[in-house]
Amino acid sequence: MPQMGVSVAEGTIVSWAKQIGDRVQADETICEISTDKIDTEVPAPVTGIVAAILVEVDTTVDVGAVLARIAPAHPQDDAPVSGATGGSGSRAPTPAFAAPAGPPAPPAPPATAGPPATAGPPAPAVPTPPATPTPEDAPDSGAPHANGVPARRYSPVVQRIAAEHGIDLGSVPGTGRGGRVRKQDVLAFVEAPPEAPMHIESPYRPDPAPAAGSGQLSRMRRQIGAHMKRSLETAAHCTTWIEVDMTRVQAARARLGVTALSYVAGAVIAALREHPQLNATLEGERYTQHSDINLGIAVSLGEDGLIVPVIQRAHELSVEGLASRIRDIAGRARSRQLTPDEVRGGTFTITNPGQYGSIMATPIINQPQVAILDLEAIVKRPVVVTDGDGNDSIAIRSMTILGLSWDHRALDGALSAQFLGSVKRGLENV
Amino acid sequence: MATMTYLQAISSALRDELRADERVFVMGEDIGVFGGAFKVTDGLFEEFGPDRIMDTPLAESAIVGTAIGAAVVGMRPVCEMQFSDFISCGFDQLVNVAAKMHYRQGLAVPITVRLPSGGGFSGGPFHSQNPEAWFMHSPGIKVLAPSTAEDAKGLLHSAIRDPNPVCFMEHKHLYRRIKGEVPEGIYETPMTARIARPGSDLVVIAYGAMVHVALEATEDVDGASIEVLDLRSLVPLDVEAILDSVARCSKVVVVDEANSTCAAGAQVTALIAERAFEDLDGPVVRVATPDIPIPFSPPLEQAVLPSVERVREACRELLAY
Amino acid sequence: MATETAEPAVGPAAHLELQDRTYLLRAMLLMRGIEERAMSLYRQGKVPGSFYDGFGQEAVSAGPAFAMAPEDRLCILHRDLAAHLIRGVTPVRILAQYMGRNAGITRGRDGNVHFGDHRLGCVGMVSMLPDMMLVATGMAMAFKLRGERRCALTWFGDGSTSRGDFHEAMNWAGVQRLPVIFVLENNQYAYSTPLEKQFAVDPVERAAAYGFVGVTVDGNDVEAMFEATRAARERAIAGRGPTLLEAVTMRMHGHAAHDDMKYVPKEQVELWRKRDPIDRQDNRLRELGVDVDTLRAEVHAEIDAATEHALASPMPDPDDVTTDVFAVGEADPLGDGHAPWSGFSRATVS
Repeated sequence: MPQMGVSVAEGTIVSWAKQIGDRVQADETICEISTDKIDTEVPAPVTGIVAAILVEVDTTVDVGAVLARIAPAHPQDDAPVSGATGGSGSRAPTPAFAAPAGPPAPPAPPATAGPPATAGPPAPAVPTPPATPTPEDAPDSGAPHANGVPARRYSPVVQRIAAEHGIDLGSVPGTGRGGRVRKQDVLAFVEAPPEAPMHIESPYRPDPAPAAGSGQLSRMRRQIGAHMKRSLETAAHCTTWIEVDMTRVQAARARLGVTALSYVAGAVIAALREHPQLNATLEGERYTQHSDINLGIAVSLGEDGLIVPVIQRAHELSVEGLASRIRDIAGRARSRQLTPDEVRGGTFTITNPGQYGSIMATPIINQPQVAILDLEAIVKRPVVVTDGDGNDSIAIRSMTILGLSWDHRALDGALSAQFLGSVKRGLENV
Repeated sequence: MATMTYLQAISSALRDELRADERVFVMGEDIGVFGGAFKVTDGLFEEFGPDRIMDTPLAESAIVGTAIGAAVVGMRPVCEMQFSDFISCGFDQLVNVAAKMHYRQGLAVPITVRLPSGGGFSGGPFHSQNPEAWFMHSPGIKVLAPSTAEDAKGLLHSAIRDPNPVCFMEHKHLYRRIKGEVPEGIYETPMTARIARPGSDLVVIAYGAMVHVALEATEDVDGASIEVLDLRSLVPLDVEAILDSVARCSKVVVVDEANSTCAAGAQVTALIAERAFEDLDGPVVRVATPDIPIPFSPPLEQAVLPSVERVREACRELLAY
Repeated sequence: MATETAEPAVGPAAHLELQDRTYLLRAMLLMRGIEERAMSLYRQGKVPGSFYDGFGQEAVSAGPAFAMAPEDRLCILHRDLAAHLIRGVTPVRILAQYMGRNAGITRGRDGNVHFGDHRLGCVGMVSMLPDMMLVATGMAMAFKLRGERRCALTWFGDGSTSRGDFHEAMNWAGVQRLPVIFVLENNQYAYSTPLEKQFAVDPVERAAAYGFVGVTVDGNDVEAMFEATRAARERAIAGRGPTLLEAVTMRMHGHAAHDDMKYVPKEQVELWRKRDPIDRQDNRLRELGVDVDTLRAEVHAEIDAATEHALASPMPDPDDVTTDVFAVGEADPLGDGHAPWSGFSRATVS
């Protein structure tokens, strides 16, 4: 079981892509595993024949446990170990790659089923968009993702614009038929990407409405739950709030076409520079300050749960750089394309549930870090402002509340308050 | 500038060319004393006489064939087909003799064949056709299809002054329905497309009478910004203008009054598929006449010709895609 | 109007000097020699496509073409090679044309006899043979509109008389009394179809129906063909309208190289072989003391040289294949051709 993050202790086999006797190439997927940080495929370390599978599907084992054994393959061993061979060098069709038993896939439907659009009033004016795969198609169509989410199809222009701007189309809301992402949708996203829906699930948040299917919690839910519970049991949680005037940030972010989160991340990084005590991990009694700021950003995966991809060496990035990295990792988090390296090594985490209008939360620290910052909704409020001459007046300002949960084992309230003050100053003087 | 109907603009171009160039003469059936079936040449006989406004025998192959002969010895004949449908009888001369002449032996054939085309008035199967694609498929022939009075005159000047065989598709239904400002004197309209109305959400590509259908259909489709591109010339086809519109709008409706299969719009659609795939945000949608002869009875004819409603619905559907 | 059989009042050579009569033989010898050479090149695989010739019909093109002035215009058909030679197309260009080479008249864009050198006043034929009757009619129409003393001439076959364009051209030319000469090359067969399956009335009779003169001529007598055409041209430029000349001849080879002519009775071929137009002119000139053997040797040498030259000339460049579909700039009309008949130079002098 590979180590999929500093704090990962165990992993669960989700499925085996190879069976005993199958030939496997180095780097070819041999199995899929799930850990509390990431679900991922495990590539075979060597080329050979699967000689033994030691951990069954749905079994959880410790990091480092042996999952399977691969016997080295020699050219003359091309044929499957267990298969009847036709003799040295003769290569029988490898059962491992044979399609699952079942009826052959039906031929693809003709491009224009029915009368052409041009054939007069009885025909529909617009060809129907490519039909979703019929159940008969499904086994071979490959349309659903491995995680069961149906693949979205994008028009050429949408794909091109997305590629040009490094946009993950999964995060672009579609307004076309059936939620299709249209050109104007992706252009609007380029203009002003919506606040990424990023937040850490908290036990204090109202429970989400029960989905259609109630029952056993998903593996990810169970893992998140265990992780959060362990954090609450481990850390001496304390939460401090500060009110911040985001008016300048709002103006600046509109100018740059980036999210407020990017500015908050920038201000947090500057504040961590000032107060490196918060850029740290505490494992047992071992407290470590880190020189690199590896910034975790909590990303919601909807009903599936959440994940915290990490922007490595975030202190080297500008606000625009942060914005682009956040877009990138959030997009790939949603399309399940994060690599193990991108979810490990975090030194501080930001969560951002404010998009739903909430104004305060008490986030749970992402272990083994020592603090987590929570960005809530930015709302306009009447605020007393003081001008350079000391005159007070009431103004409409864009305000937010930043909450910092911190581990009283590692630091004290004064330091957290100073840290929040630094963040506030940074944001108010953009 | 003068206000003219589409028909008057064509007539004006003929008159101006006859006055300007003694090599120009007009030949066709019933075009002289009678002034033509649609009165396009009305009054020309009186001014230019029977040699230059020549009433011919009822023989379309002969009209085109003798025009070719006259052209290669230095004349600039303008042939009138009484209806574009009748060009089928002169087809061989046009596509085998005229079209291939320059490619084969470097001999230019400067003839203009005027083809009153299109339906919408119960002309039936032999007086309503849009045969432009026949000629698009015959290399060596230029094919023009104006939609406005200004372009009708300017493109006819361009056609007559071009050293090649030119099929001038003049739409019968526009003759007296379309009026517009027309510049004074002789001017040559380039054989390129024209943006009839700029837009950014969707482009309707059309030519001839369908430009007006497209403009009316897209005046207001749920507030969308819809471009109308008037091709004006089918050969040469303004590839750059088409690709430019597609790049900006990304959604395309192509309208043909002609029968759908292998129509000009089919070529435009193929071009977009080949050259503008990366710009598309939805399927290219075609609105055309189904592959049937044009029926006579008004409800039947109206059912098959692309209507304002069909074009609008196609745009609405595609916008929502 | 009546049809007539051409009977030159003052003998076949009334308008021909000895040099003209020799020139006519030379043109026919060149035609036959080039076509025989081309057939041999065809069998060697050097001429692509198919190959058509006018073996036995040389007088039908040589005589009328010789009667044409430089400013006249011709639409020449596929068994009329002598007309091209008389107008000034060189043998090397013809052989290069057969072989699809760049030096051919169409630069490889069209094959075999599908050509016309527009600089020499000729419009290349198309395969829909009577089409050119309308083109010739149109040229004559332009001459008449402009008040020019010129005429147009075209050839077509017995098969062409069945097509509408034959009728449309004859009718139009008759209606407008145009200076055009239609040479009906009656060579007994349209591909394999004999005359009795082509028409119920001798087509020369039809001229009267269109309002002009129809003349039947011995198509294997080059001087008779010349004289009949000369007279037709006189009528044309005098404003007396078109003429239909029916040249009665025989296609002595198959329709094309692949055609073994099984459908033609052997006796018919043998009968016509005795009427060979070249032999007849050869005999005439020998009787007049012309050194025909030297003439034949000269022609032979000319063809040898042209063949060598044509074989050495390059094939066309495929990179250029898409050019010149359209003309650009001002259209150049047809130019004037050669007109070697001494009658024209005499006219110029006088």
